[in-house]
Amino acid sequence: MASDSFSKGLTSTTGTPPFVDLWRRSALRAGLVFAILAVILALLGQKFDQPALGWDHVVRGWLHGFMICFGFCFGAMALLMTQYLSGGKWGLIIRRPLEAMTRTWPLVVLFWFPIALLGASFGKLYIWARYDNWRDALQKGLITIDQAHAIHWKQPMLNVTSFYVVSLVCFAIFALYVTLLNSWSVKRDADPEPNVARWRTKFENLSGFGVVLYAVLLFVLVIYFVMSLDPTWYSTVYGFQFLVGQAYGVLALSILTLIALSKAEPIKSTFRIVEQHDLGKLCFAFVMLNMYLAFASFLIIWSGNSPEEIPWYLDRIRGNWGVIATLDVIFHWVIPFSLLLSRDLKRIKSRLVLVCCIMIFARMWDMFWLIEPNFRDAARNLHFSWGILEYIAVPGALVSFWLVYYFTELKRRPLIATNDPHLTEILEHDYAHA
Amino acid sequence: MPLPEGVYGLMAEFETPTQLVRAAEAAHGAGYRRMDCYTPYPVEEAAAAIGFHRDEVSLVCLIGGLLGLAAMFSLETWISVWAYPVNIAGRPYYSWPAFVVPAYEWTILWAGLSAAFGMLALCGLPKPYHPVFNAPNFRNGATSDKFFLCLESTDPKFDAVETRSFLEAQAPLSVVEVEY
Repeated sequence: MASDSFSKGLTSTTGTPPFVDLWRRSALRAGLVFAILAVILALLGQKFDQPALGWDHVVRGWLHGFMICFGFCFGAMALLMTQYLSGGKWGLIIRRPLEAMTRTWPLVVLFWFPIALLGASFGKLYIWARYDNWRDALQKGLITIDQAHAIHWKQPMLNVTSFYVVSLVCFAIFALYVTLLNSWSVKRDADPEPNVARWRTKFENLSGFGVVLYAVLLFVLVIYFVMSLDPTWYSTVYGFQFLVGQAYGVLALSILTLIALSKAEPIKSTFRIVEQHDLGKLCFAFVMLNMYLAFASFLIIWSGNSPEEIPWYLDRIRGNWGVIATLDVIFHWVIPFSLLLSRDLKRIKSRLVLVCCIMIFARMWDMFWLIEPNFRDAARNLHFSWGILEYIAVPGALVSFWLVYYFTELKRRPLIATNDPHLTEILEHDYAHA
Repeated sequence: MPLPEGVYGLMAEFETPTQLVRAAEAAHGAGYRRMDCYTPYPVEEAAAAIGFHRDEVSLVCLIGGLLGLAAMFSLETWISVWAYPVNIAGRPYYSWPAFVVPAYEWTILWAGLSAAFGMLALCGLPKPYHPVFNAPNFRNGATSDKFFLCLESTDPKFDAVETRSFLEAQAPLSVVEVEY
């Protein structure tokens, strides 16, 4: 119903503005600084830490950074499929940034290799890999009887061969999905009316099954990558927590990307306050869902108070870890929840940027709390060591290098998907569709 | 209190929401403040055009939520610690994780009720009488397919002649005088 004078045309420049190159250069520089820092810390850790776990901490930090990059890359794939299923203008505007995130999958697989090689094959991370001869390890007192029992019974799943096979099969399936989602998207843009409805159905069919498949495979992968660091413990909500956590991080990163890009065309005229507000509301929903899952799992295990489950939380609360856990709740939920309640905050770019940064920081904080207490030297004993600083340096380097790749991919396509019925709507002024 | 008499305002009827929004913007630009838009469905743009003003509903909602939270959490603490202390599997009497869920439920319940009733109260509802229904064309159009802008006579800028000519310049279907 809006008349012509209300709508703006799509500017001729749909390409990425030149300042993305600057971002890329800064990310590269930051990555190199963090990498050098990681090496220095490892050497300091080897020399001064008791026990000397400098290089072990590099591998642990690597797992941390890998999980964050994994979350950005494949979490983006899940969100991309979700927006095809749900529809909506918020989905159209973040589609290209999400696609760029998914196309970084080769780097994420590359980041996986050190985990597989050092963590599993050499047993630096996973005790089920290091002590696959559990009888021997038990006799030498290297593992507890509970651990020996768990390693023995979970051997069909938790062994090095299946770690490789399952991971690679999952990555192959994800890569297939990423390729299809990305190549179809280009074909769709080149194939205007009357074929839009057909493309829509095609994407819906691909995504509907894809979302379910991703949720299942993600659960399997996080069992291997993170949960099995402590083979004695299990939780049925673990995979879902990661799924929600990934969406939480990816949404924050997408909003940051769009707000940063909105200084120039084409995002300047297409990223309206209305969609920014919608994305803010979606963030709020994920902040709530994330806390809901985390607290539900805690409440159930706390109520049961059974010796098979509660040690996992005690490892993460006692010995000063309670401070980290409390701050985790504050960063993950209290701050974003309280701030995102405000309608104005979601509509003011500079403030929303702050919340998104806190959200991504909270993801990294939470991952630290999930990973480090699995190791014997750190469980129920949070203490300073040079090595523990690797949780800043190594993920810093990995995420920076990932960002370099992400920005490169972002430049390779127009920033707006053009062949979508929502496009005319987002080209209107905020209050035009009266 | 005696009932007010005379003219409540001048009401212009429009065919489309876009025309209404433009007229409302023009009126706001011309300095009118005491006015309202009446539409058959929510038109957010109209609210923005006449100078979207903040209301206190969100504050009422927040206070309600916090009261609910405090009420339930204290109730649970009082029951478990002082009134009926029961040893449940050796846990401390003050077992806050168990209190969180009901406290959360009450936060939501109180916040929701405060928002709903706060909105009604701040809107001045229920309101059994409103002068705009005196306009003959209002009853037919306002709930189906017509869009109305009413400039009220309490506005200092209101002038029976000038305001009418201003509204007629906005290409309405009609401009009628609304009696109290």
